[in-house]
Amino acid sequence: MTARVWQEADGTHIDVRGLPPPRPLAQIMRLVMQQPEGGVVIVHHERDPLLLYPELAQIGWFAEPIPGDPGEVRLKLRRAP
Amino acid sequence: MNDTPGADPAGAPATAPEPKPKRPRVAPPRLGGTFLGGARSRLLPMSVPFRWFGIATAFHLLAWFVLALGATQWPFWRGGLGWPLAALHAVTLGTLVASAVGASLQLLPVATRQGLRWPRLAGWMAYGFVPGLVLLLLGMGLARPTWLAAGGAAVIGVLLLWALLLAGNLRGAAGMPGVLLHGWGALAALLLLAASAASLLALWLGQSLFARDTLRALHLAMGVFGVMGLLLLGLSSVLLPMFALGSVPADRDQLACGATMLAALLLAALAAFSAAPLALRALALAAAAAAFARHVQLMRRVLAGGMRRDLGRAARLFHAGWAAGAAALLLAAAQLAAASRGHADAAETLGHLFVLAAVLGWQGSLLFGVLQRILPFLASMHAARGRSRAPMPSALAWDSPLAWHERGHFVALLLLAAAVVTRSPGWLLAAAAAGAGGALAFAAFFVVLVRRLARAAGDDDQP
Repeated sequence: MTARVWQEADGTHIDVRGLPPPRPLAQIMRLVMQQPEGGVVIVHHERDPLLLYPELAQIGWFAEPIPGDPGEVRLKLRRAP
Repeated sequence: MNDTPGADPAGAPATAPEPKPKRPRVAPPRLGGTFLGGARSRLLPMSVPFRWFGIATAFHLLAWFVLALGATQWPFWRGGLGWPLAALHAVTLGTLVASAVGASLQLLPVATRQGLRWPRLAGWMAYGFVPGLVLLLLGMGLARPTWLAAGGAAVIGVLLLWALLLAGNLRGAAGMPGVLLHGWGALAALLLLAASAASLLALWLGQSLFARDTLRALHLAMGVFGVMGLLLLGLSSVLLPMFALGSVPADRDQLACGATMLAALLLAALAAFSAAPLALRALALAAAAAAFARHVQLMRRVLAGGMRRDLGRAARLFHAGWAAGAAALLLAAAQLAAASRGHADAAETLGHLFVLAAVLGWQGSLLFGVLQRILPFLASMHAARGRSRAPMPSALAWDSPLAWHERGHFVALLLLAAAVVTRSPGWLLAAAAAGAGGALAFAAFFVVLVRRLARAAGDDDQP
């Protein structure tokens, strides 16, 4: 089970909806760690990824909530300034 | 799912007649479990899991002092009542089970994506568990059957409530067949463990339901390979891919491991009630070894293939735990061979070494590896509630005591093995001193973590 990943103008998107834990966390973090300097990751999730925030903080990234579809949690991940 | 940002996912026509078309987008949420009712309910108040982790930390330290109390009994102790038995239960119940309660109550609702029923009950259970366990340990140490029965009844009651909470959470879960099989198997083993414990307590009160050896064999199998064994196997399949950022083992592999371990438990239970148990025990051991070997192979593959290769101290503890687990299975096989040849003394020593390798070596090492890795992350997760950014987990943790804990843990294991072989109180006291030093270091790590968490999270929900 692999998340769908695609590229758009605002960053690299990853849709982890429907994946059982811990696959969303692992696949989001793998994508984040592959990003070049200044890279942005947009996460499409079905729930608040509670364990993601400490993992991001530990590598100097953070999550910013952005508008998404109804029932969706959409997050913009980027390196902390 | 609509891939294009800004597109109307509901497919509403662009020429909708409403003067103020409502966008079906939701407002930007707050982070960290604060904006989704479901998510928030999945995150227990931090006081609940950290209370159980605190209990585990305290009993880890207490166990070494209780063991030291048993130094004079050590050369003559044969597995019955006494401080060595109390020390063993301070570790199994006080440290391993209390950690499992805290971790399962915290992580299972997140993994199964549904809130815990009766979250307050999860916190209240600790108030029955701690006095019950203290009374149980005193009853064992001082050989007071009535204390033993009262304390044991309280602990069994709490464990049954835990089983109820877990069952309620597992019942509605879907999509994780491997984790569910291990979870349900651990629950079934917990019921058998509680039943065997109640029957052993009844024996001490003069009520004989089954033979003592039958009950002890069942109790040991369900405690080591059933409750803690299955929980560790199941949770490892979730936690280690998280730690290593690696691939999760395939469902069929997880199911094969769980089913083989359940077969081992069934055989061990049949052996406990059998008049000629050696063949059944040998089969049970072979099945347990097959399940364990496959599990370790899968977990090593997860660690090797993960993006985060250097897990440091935690990885050392995982590998040491797996090595100790393999040693425990070999010791159990040797014990079986010695028993079949009538070498009672050798069988007894090998049996004690098996318990040491399985409980403190395999399960203790793995558990401490998990705890020192995950506690700062859980603390950061709780501190992040309602904030735009989570604090760095490493900033919440005081790392240096963990190095001392690791040294103390390994040295105590070796010294305790020497104490089992030589039956020497001196080795036992040395092991207790090394273990207590390590446990004290872990306690320092935990206290500092909780203080920093309380400071980071504010005063509204201190553990």
